[in-house]
Amino acid sequence: MNKLSSYAILFLALFSFTNCSNRISNPPLVINEVLVINEENFVDDYGRRSGWIEIFNNTAKTQDIGGYYLTNDKSDPKKYPIPKGDVLTKIAPHHHVLFWANNKPYQGTFHISFELDPDRENYIALFNESGEKMIDEVTIPNGQLADQSWGYKMDGEKYAQDGTLLLTLLDKVTPSTNNFTLDKNEKVEKFRQNDKFGASMTITSMLVVFGALILLYLVFRTSGKVSSKLKQKKGERLSISKEGVTTSSGPISGEVLTAIFMALHEDQNEIHDFENTTLTFSSVNKNYSPWNSKIYGLRELPRR
Amino acid sequence: MGLEQLLPAIADMTWQDLIMIGVGILLIYLAIAKEYEPTLLLPMGFGAILVNIPWSSALTQIDPATGEAVQGILNIFFDAGIVTEVFPLLIFIAIGAMIDFGPLFRNPSLLLFGAAAQFGIFITMIFATSLGYDLREAASIGIIGAADGPTSIVVASRFAPNLLGPISVAAYSYMALVPIIQPLVIRLLTSRKERLIRMSTTGHNNKVISKKALIVFPIVVTIVAGIIAPSSLSLIGFLMFGNLVRECGVLNKLSLSAQNELASLVTLLLGITIASTMTAERFIRLDTLIIIGLGLFAFIFDTFGGVIFAKFLNLFRKEGNKINPMIGACGISAFPMSARVIHQMGQKEDPYNYLLMPAISANVGGQIGSVVAGGIILTLIPLFA
Repeated sequence: MNKLSSYAILFLALFSFTNCSNRISNPPLVINEVLVINEENFVDDYGRRSGWIEIFNNTAKTQDIGGYYLTNDKSDPKKYPIPKGDVLTKIAPHHHVLFWANNKPYQGTFHISFELDPDRENYIALFNESGEKMIDEVTIPNGQLADQSWGYKMDGEKYAQDGTLLLTLLDKVTPSTNNFTLDKNEKVEKFRQNDKFGASMTITSMLVVFGALILLYLVFRTSGKVSSKLKQKKGERLSISKEGVTTSSGPISGEVLTAIFMALHEDQNEIHDFENTTLTFSSVNKNYSPWNSKIYGLRELPRR
Repeated sequence: MGLEQLLPAIADMTWQDLIMIGVGILLIYLAIAKEYEPTLLLPMGFGAILVNIPWSSALTQIDPATGEAVQGILNIFFDAGIVTEVFPLLIFIAIGAMIDFGPLFRNPSLLLFGAAAQFGIFITMIFATSLGYDLREAASIGIIGAADGPTSIVVASRFAPNLLGPISVAAYSYMALVPIIQPLVIRLLTSRKERLIRMSTTGHNNKVISKKALIVFPIVVTIVAGIIAPSSLSLIGFLMFGNLVRECGVLNKLSLSAQNELASLVTLLLGITIASTMTAERFIRLDTLIIIGLGLFAFIFDTFGGVIFAKFLNLFRKEGNKINPMIGACGISAFPMSARVIHQMGQKEDPYNYLLMPAISANVGGQIGSVVAGGIILTLIPLFA
């Protein structure tokens, strides 16, 4: 019975894993954002506007799409071959490239051989090097408005966990940048909502500063007490061992105080005597000195 | 050949550049004639002249012939010393080597004024946020109130490098203006009777502090600060390291080097490097005036916080054991200027009132408090913004 139940558990586990693998996964390269009618949007390197297709590398490694195919025709998967050997076709992990759909492939790698049609549904697909395996496809519905793009809210996230396609009209047109950008910091917004005048932050900060300094105060106080006790003990020991000889660490003696006040009095009333502090040279009656001997200034040669 | 080719600096000079050169000359004047923080304001003033002459090679320029960037020495210093926080942190070692925590050991309760007088920082943060500044910028502006130049530089370089120039100018200017600002605020908040309060220091002054306590103190503070707020460790740790070098007794040469050579060298470079941010396009803006105004606000409220805290404590203290509320104002970091100002104010009211010792204790507390406040800001702000 026990054996049977363990087999059942194993089967269930395997089944659940198989279930997981059946979930639709996002493609490694995603047609991430598409703009069909470009009137006042991004301008290409020739200063012209046209529709564009953004491809996102959904993997953690660099993907070279040189030799791949872009098409808008299901029956012709090899409509636009992306040129090989261009360093710019290597897409860094989680980065984008943008293709201009202006039907001018002679203008460079990123200008493709078809246009997006504003008057009908636009099918776009990316095929691998053999043109046989489709990597990603998307269909942009008819009736597009100018300067509005379709894509996925989070870069590369084509499907939800339940397999729903997440293609949608985006709030912002973001060519060659993340579709999801932070306009506001949620933490700051929450903080602003909950603490409109910043009073709690001030109180928290002041409490922390006070707390830290109270802790320091305790350190000062206890260390002061401990050290004075230790000194006292040491002093007692010294007085016992030296029999009557005691060290004084008490208040300053009267003589010292008198000396300090005399010095201050002299300084304030400018009655301190003037001392000649000039340094000078004067010759002495001594004929020889090693300082003027030339022998010591010469380099001594080794004796042979 | 036109003027543009012959003298491009004159051809491209704008009125904003001229104003900034004027600001530079004013800072140099204040440093020399009025002795307002000359160690910082003079290099900053000279630097302001240096960076506001068009095509100055002290700043990075794009060579119009090749289109390549030619690195300017001040930008190199800025990237190496300010962006990395190396310069202000080295200054902290020097300051640590200069601070004697002895007065605080003698009268540790005055340490709390170092906390109360940081009130201006946080109230200014709120005010700056309500004016529309981002929380990080607001924190950098508020820290001007700490009256602690290096802490202001560390916080501003981390949270608002774009505002570093005006923040540094404001921080150091207000530190220099302590003798003008603090007496005004104190007189507004205290009565003559309160200013006449004498503080008993008998016993405190003669207390002998053991060397061991002075050595253990920086180590304990570093460990405690590290546990409470690890991100404040670069500030507090370097300050305490400098202090340990001073107090250990076996590194006298290093301690003297930190106090003199290191402090002088880094200060020399710090001022002129900060000036690289004082270019006309960054400085001549309404923002700068607002920041300078907010800095003053922070400074006033720091003094306010300290004085009011002292008055509050007096409510619970017996007659004869009260604190002179002016001592509260010494909780700022401007050391020893604030203590000296308060002592002089006390003597003006009563020539036999010696407030210097408690004022110095509170002022040392202010030095610790400002660094702690800086550390708290470095820890808390990333949690909110």
